[in-house]
Order: sequence, then structure tokens, then C-alpha cells
Amino acid sequence: MKSIKILMAVVLLLSALLSKAEIKNVSTENVKISGSCALCKEGIETAAFDKNISKASWDRDTKMALVTYDNKKTSIDAVLKKVALAGYDNDSYLAPDDAYAKLADCCKYDRAVKKEVMAEKKMPEHQHEAMASAEKTTPADADPLKPVLDAYYAVKDALVSSDGNTASAKATSLVKAIKAVKMDQLASEQHMVWMKVMKDLDFDADHIAETKEVSHQRDHFSSLSDNMYKLIKSAKPSEPVYYQHCPMAKEGKGANWLSQIPAIKNPYYGAQMLNCGKTTETIK
Amino acid sequence: MDFSKIPGVNAISTIIIFLLFSDTLYAQKIVRYDLYVKDTTVNFTGKLKRAIAVNGQIPMPTLTFTEGDTAEIYVHNELNEETSLHWHGLFLPNKYDGVPNLTQMPIKPHTTHLYRFAIIQNGTHWYHSHTGLQEQIGMYGSMILNKKKEPVIPTVPIVLSEWTDINPKNVHRMLHNASDWFAIKKGTTQSYAEAIKQGYFKTKVANEWKRMTAMDVSDVYYNKFLINGKNESQLSLFKPGEKVRLRISNAGASTYFWLTYAGGKMTVVASDGNDIEPIKVDRLIIAVSETYDVILTIPQVKPGAKPTAYEFLVTSEDRTRSASLYVGEGIKQLASPLPKLKYFEGMKMMNGMMKMNGDLDDMGMNMSLNQMDMNLVMYPEITGPLKGKKIKEMGIPAEMDGMKMDDKKKPMESGHTDHNMYNSNVLSSITTLNYAMLKSAVNTSLPKDAPVKELRFVLTGNMNRYVWSIDNKVVSESDKILIKRGENVRMVIYNNSMMRHPMHLHGHDFRVLNGQGENAPLKNIIDIMPMETDTLEFAATESGDWFFHCHILYHMMSGMGRVFSYENSPANPEIPNPKLAQRKLFADDRAFHFMAENDIATNGNDGEAMLQNTRWSIGTEWRLGYNEHHGYEVETHIGRYIGKMQWLMPFIGFDWRYRKMGMDEVETNLFGQRNTKDKRSILSAGVNYTLPMLVSAQAEIFTDGIVRFQLERMDIPVSKRLRMNLMINTDKEYMAAIKYIFTRNAGVTAHYDSDMGFGVGLTLNY
Repeated sequence: MKSIKILMAVVLLLSALLSKAEIKNVSTENVKISGSCALCKEGIETAAFDKNISKASWDRDTKMALVTYDNKKTSIDAVLKKVALAGYDNDSYLAPDDAYAKLADCCKYDRAVKKEVMAEKKMPEHQHEAMASAEKTTPADADPLKPVLDAYYAVKDALVSSDGNTASAKATSLVKAIKAVKMDQLASEQHMVWMKVMKDLDFDADHIAETKEVSHQRDHFSSLSDNMYKLIKSAKPSEPVYYQHCPMAKEGKGANWLSQIPAIKNPYYGAQMLNCGKTTETIK
Repeated sequence: MDFSKIPGVNAISTIIIFLLFSDTLYAQKIVRYDLYVKDTTVNFTGKLKRAIAVNGQIPMPTLTFTEGDTAEIYVHNELNEETSLHWHGLFLPNKYDGVPNLTQMPIKPHTTHLYRFAIIQNGTHWYHSHTGLQEQIGMYGSMILNKKKEPVIPTVPIVLSEWTDINPKNVHRMLHNASDWFAIKKGTTQSYAEAIKQGYFKTKVANEWKRMTAMDVSDVYYNKFLINGKNESQLSLFKPGEKVRLRISNAGASTYFWLTYAGGKMTVVASDGNDIEPIKVDRLIIAVSETYDVILTIPQVKPGAKPTAYEFLVTSEDRTRSASLYVGEGIKQLASPLPKLKYFEGMKMMNGMMKMNGDLDDMGMNMSLNQMDMNLVMYPEITGPLKGKKIKEMGIPAEMDGMKMDDKKKPMESGHTDHNMYNSNVLSSITTLNYAMLKSAVNTSLPKDAPVKELRFVLTGNMNRYVWSIDNKVVSESDKILIKRGENVRMVIYNNSMMRHPMHLHGHDFRVLNGQGENAPLKNIIDIMPMETDTLEFAATESGDWFFHCHILYHMMSGMGRVFSYENSPANPEIPNPKLAQRKLFADDRAFHFMAENDIATNGNDGEAMLQNTRWSIGTEWRLGYNEHHGYEVETHIGRYIGKMQWLMPFIGFDWRYRKMGMDEVETNLFGQRNTKDKRSILSAGVNYTLPMLVSAQAEIFTDGIVRFQLERMDIPVSKRLRMNLMINTDKEYMAAIKYIFTRNAGVTAHYDSDMGFGVGLTLNY
């Protein structure tokens, strides 16, 4: 019994010591951390907090944070790295893309520094794509539905990576592509199908664009895909289109999608079950 | 790390650099290095610890040669212990290979040893001490052999390593004594409480039923991971748009590293110093002692925009920590950290693979070349985040490859597992390098008409007792493997143990038969995962004795290796007394490891001490009461472990007890045998057997005819730091104890003992 008492005393003493302790060897620094709303403030301050070692207080208007830390135990860079890993760009570090993508919608601040790099980084690819499509669209018999199909693929790829934001953005381009189709360029059979499905296509694309919730997007993507299939089947696509099916999607009802590649990358599950499905038809 | 705290070190290195410089000026073909091996103190974690530095630095200096040079390396041993240096991946005369007691005698303290050999190859290699555990505390460095005409691209030698604040000898001892301190530090105890919380209770029970303890991908907890001796550093000299070639060696003693890059895909151009057809990957794992040449591209920025540095992230396989190198100048773009492993998924996978007899069952998957990674069930980035049971139940559909899928079978209905279930490149959009993707840049076929010698090896091991072996024999238990110059040696290696092993062959490159035909890649180390079979072949062109071993330092020191010996080799002048050398070589895996535990409790003092090696165990248990009524007893057992899994241990024992009970009070055991136990000094023989659930069953017969059966289960992981012990025997003795682990060497125990009653105490262990 005696030993239990001693133990309890030790525990009490320890907890008393711990609760009294605070940050020692204090250094403070003002640093810029990107963010946009109250949720960001919480996210930034949580990421910077380490009991008795570091803390931060972030101002939403100035985007400046006052970081207080124990200079024997950590450094301003170490604190800022943690903040960046939580998704917030700052003076020293840029957040990983997936950490940024995980932020709440209100917190998706404008990534100024990142854009300069990214824009340039993607440039060669864009140029390449632009050139490639330019080559293909200049001939007189260009496929008028190709922009729609390409935009559809972009939405699908975003869903494969379960990225609601990108899916929404890409769906917006899809809506534009649908509106831009010149019906007079369509063959008569295609024209008929187009008239039938256009409204539904537009409806589903609109809904995917409106939300950032992936599950909702996927619901619409299923009917969008069915209509796309009807449309593409009536046409003669310039490149083969793979019509693919996952029996598990929509809680076992199954769902379809079109893909530019034969390999299965499931837009209904993403990484969770990336390869569920099979190609049921190849449209050439 | 702060070397400036050591006075004189900087001055010395300057002088050495000067010396080197002057040497290279005068001799064009001979390149001389002087390496001064010296004790030092480092501070990687806030604590000063002993390490070994060469020329005042950790890692050791990068040695650079050009193909055709002659290397002259003077090793000045300023330590108070023996040392040696092995040139990893180099083709050289056997006597300069640097394995103490095999190719040379150890370099004695305060002597100088010369390694002199021609550089007849090119590529990224490294060098390290082959003596004891010196490699763990700083004796590793990069060795760059340039081609006469290297491609014009900026090149940076990179040495990956790890640091632990615990003395490596102690690490080795703790591993052998199944200490779970490292698991506690890593958060990988996989206790019952954690299992229940995450919904894996059944998995945990099945795991213990199959006599396995907590699973992990690596054994040792490290405090820091290092890139060229630093946890974080930046290469600011590179500009956006530039390419950089990293020549990476993994000098970690027991850590595999994941390599990822924030600036896009990496291009792998060489492995183990041999050029391969460039491959673009998102990530690769570098095995212990392996080398890779990787080209990174720093993304362009808009003209006038500020440059960005991109993180080259090196994460230990267990994902406890990482090290970073920022490539480029400016603000640092971070790479995504690798998410924590889902250990219980791994445990479930192990349960599926483990047969009751301790063999592994690959369920007909014919695994090889790292293409299927069973561990990926633990990788959240590929198999989804941990979300309780839901995801598990949905699982990964049995057939993953959409193209091959049979219409008749729906994915969820077909019960059998498909190969691609564990192929991360099929499962995800992340491209991970595997050995099947390596294609040599040149034709590597062996001489066609040479006779072929085929050798088969099974990698074996026992995690609980930390015995690692080949064909269930350690180095000291096996003969040298004789090979003849002029023949082609083919090795078929199957890993039947629960851990992956980076197998390294000294002095030769072998071809990895990976389906690339004539362009099979050349390597000198190959990582073999559990259940994998790999086929390797090499042309026997040398002479002398060459070590072939697992490069995980603690596995090698436990005896996981073999010696390839060329028949009719001339005597090695560096080994004047081969018998003595062999005895010293064998001493490594014959060494005994000591452990002790003592509980100073309110009702008595009890404890145990044990000396164990690969096969033998000498153990003593004592229970000392504080008065004569409680009694004093000491039991000593000397036993030998039998079989691959070492579940069986026959032993002989000696039992001494003294106790003052009431007048004529006698005890009767379950068999009606009577015994006063008042004063007993007696010999015994018996046998221990580990039952499912890790229960140790013991049957013992004493020379006075008394028989005792006992069941005991030690160290049941109740929660992260809580352990329970249970014991019962036919003498109607029983014991239950619960221990909370505070530190590596101390805990608090509460126990109830049929002899001594209830007690609380402080437990000290070593």
C-alpha cells in the first residue's frame, strides 16, 4: 500500500510540474502564412502547436503569424515545415499538393507562389497538347465531339483521383464544351442522338460542376457516362474509346464509364478500388 | 551535428585535403587517400554520443577514382579497437576485400594498413567497416568510380544512413533478447488494446495462435535519419530547369529507405554501379547497402519568377522519420510525407501467409523481384486510409487486371487471390520501381560453354529469438561453399523468413534473371522479400574467399551468411593463421547475449538472468522472500533450442530451495507426490515447448522422482506499455503479474504469487 501512495505522489508531482511548464528559451518571429478563413487559422495554429515547444497566432487579415518557440528545441523552419505539411504555404515552404487539396473549401487560399511555378511547369505539356489538338482539328473532317470527349475524360480522371475540386473545375469546362458543339457539323445519325442526350449531358455536367462532394459527383457521372456512351457509339471516334464497367459501383447496381485507355482506373472508387472493372466494349 | 565542438578536427581535415591534393598532383595514375579512423563525439539528438569519424567526418570522405586508376588507401587506425574497411561492390584482389578474419586480419589499434588495387570498373559504390558494429556509428562513405568519359551532368554523391542514441552493441543485445522497447518507441507494439480499438482483435489472436509477436518492417528504432550526415540540407547551387544526378548509396545498417521527389518523376539510370536503361518512377525503395543513380529535374519557373527548391524525401521503411534534401534554391516545395503503416493489416496478411509449422505459404503466387509487395496492404497511399473495418471488408477485388478478367467471375465472388493483388503498379497510379523493370544498358550474358553450378538457398529466421540463417545454419555451423574458377554459378534463393533480406555478394556482380534476357541487370545486392524466389548467376572468375551475406548488420552479425571459396586458391598472405582467423570469424555468431530482470517488490525479490546464443540458453530464475516462511528458491536451466523455429528446448537443470514452513507441513502436487520443499537441492531434466498463443509448456523431472508440468505465458501485450504474465504448474503454484514499462530499463509490476502473496514493486531489466 505504501508503495502505491508513493507512486501516486510521484504522479501528482509530475503532473504539477508538467502543467506549470511553459515555453523556455523563447524566440518570436513574424512570418507570412497563406490562408483564408477562420478554419485556416485553426489549422495553422494547431499545426504550429507543440506543447511547451512552439505555438503560433495567425491573423486572417494580414496573413501574418506570430510564432513563439523554444530555440533550443526547435527552429522557425521546423515549425513552418509542419504548417506547410498541414497545407499552408509560407515564407519557407510550399505545402505538398495533396495536403493543400485536403483543406476545407473555405480554406483554399490563392497559391500565388505556387502558380508561377506550376503554370510554367505545366506549360510544355499544354503547348504540346495544344499543338497536338491543333494538328488534329485543322483538317476539315475533324471530330466535332472531340472537345466534349476530352473534357469528359478530364472529369473522369479527376474522379479517379477522388479529387472533387478538380472534377468540379473540369465539369465546368465540359459544360462549355457541350455548349460549343456546332450541331451542323454533326452527321445526321449523330445529330439525332445529340438532340436526345444534350440536355441530360448538360444537366449532369452542371451538377458535377456545382458540388465538390465526390460521391454526389459520381452519381451524376454515372448517368453522364451512359449518355456519353450513346453519343460516342453513334460517332466514329478518331481514337478508340473503351467502354468499361464496374459491377460494384452504386452499391452493387454497377456503373459504366468511357476511357481513353484500356487499363482500368475506376472513377467510382478511386484509389480505394482503382482496378475494379473491365472493358465491355471497344468503340473504334 | 556539431563537429566544430571537437577541437582540432577541422585543422586535421584541412591538412589531409592538402596532402591529398599534393599527391594527386604528382601521380596521375595512382590515387592515394589517407584515412584516419578516430573516436569522436557527435550530437545528432541533443545528447553527446560516441561515434567513429574518419578524417574528422561522418560519413567518411567520398573517395573518387577514375576507371584505370590504381587506388592506394592507407587506413590509419587510431581507435583503441580493431577495424577494417570493405570496398562494397568493387572487383579487387581477394586480400584487399576487407573482411576481417576472412580476407585479412583485423587492422590492430594504432597501426596502418594499406589497400592497393586497380580500379577496373565504374559506377556508384561505397565503403564501410566490416568489423563488429562500427558501420552503425559512422564508418560508411561514398566511393565514386568515374568512367573515363562521364556524361556531362552535375552529380552529387549521396550517402543515406541512420543514427541511434543506443550503443549498437546494446541494440544487438536487445534484439536478441526480444526486447520490445523499439516497438514501444515506434508505436508498433500492436497490443490487444490497440487491436480491439481498431477492430482487429481476431487478427491479433490468430497472430499469437501462430506463435508470432508484433510484426514490423524493420527491427531497430532510430532517432535520426541522415543524408550525407545531415537530417536536412539544401543544394542551392542548382537552378530551375536543370538536371541533377544523385549517386545514392544506402549506408544504413538496417534501414530500407523510400525515395520520393516533390519535383515530379525521377529517372533511375543505374543500380549497384551498373548502367540501366533509364526508367521514370514516382518512387523507389533502396535496400540496405544498395546503390542507385537517379536523375532529378528541377521544374522550370516563369522568366523572372523566384526559383523553388524541391524536396528529395528519404523516408525509412517503417515511416517513423525521414530526412530531406532540398534540390535547388529558394522557397522549398515539400513532398507528401508517406502515411503511417497500417500494421494490423500487415499482421492479417502475415497470418494468412504463415503456416502452423512456421513455414510461409505464398498461395501459389510465385513471387519474385519485388514486383508484388505484400506490405502494400499496409500502405494507405495505395490501399486506402485506415477507417476501421469498412474498407477491409470491401477489400481489394480478387481480380485486379481489367483486361484479363473473365466474364464468368464477378470480382467479389471469385475467392482466389490473384497475383496482381499485391502489385502496386497495377493497383495505383504511383509507379514504384521493382527489379523486373531493370534492364541493363549492355548485354550481360555469361560465357555460353562454361559448366553451370547450381546452388539453392533458403533464407531462414526466427524473429522471436532473432536467429537469422541460411538453410537453418549460421556461418559458424556451415562449411565454405566451393566453387571453381571458369564455371557459371547460379543461385536460386528462396526467402522463408518473415523479414526481407538484402543479400550481398562480395567481389562479384551477379545477373538478376528478371525476364530481360541478354540485358539482365547486374547487381551485387538483391533484396529478397518474404516468400520471394530470385535466381541470380555470375561467372566465377576470381580466387580466394568471398563473403555472401545479408547486409542488415544485425542479421549478418547473427550469422546470416556463407563463404564462397574458390577451389585451389593460393594462400592469402594476409591470413597467416587460417585456423585462428576462422575461429575469430565464427566468434561473431557464436557470441552469447546477456539479459537480466529483477523485480524488487513488497513481498519479495524475484528475477531472472539469461545467457543465450544461436542454439544455447543458460537461464536462472530466483524468488527470494523477505523471511524464511516465504522461502528462497533458485532454478537454473541449461538448454539447447531445436529445429528451425526453436520452439523445442530440452534442458538440464538444478533446483535449490529453502523454506521454513510449519512443523511437518508438506505439499502435495497434482500427482499426489509429496514434498516438503523446506530444503531441496536437486538436479532435473526437462523440456520446454512453445505452444500456440506463445504459451511456454515445461515438463521437468527431478532426481527425487518428482515431476512438474508448468504453463507460462510472458509479456502479453495488453496495451502499448502494459504487459501481463501468467503461470500455473502442477505443484499448485500460480502467478499473475502486470507490468507497466516506464523506460528501457525500468517498470512497475504488480503481481500475485501463490507462495508470496500480493506485491507491488520496481522492475529493473537489462
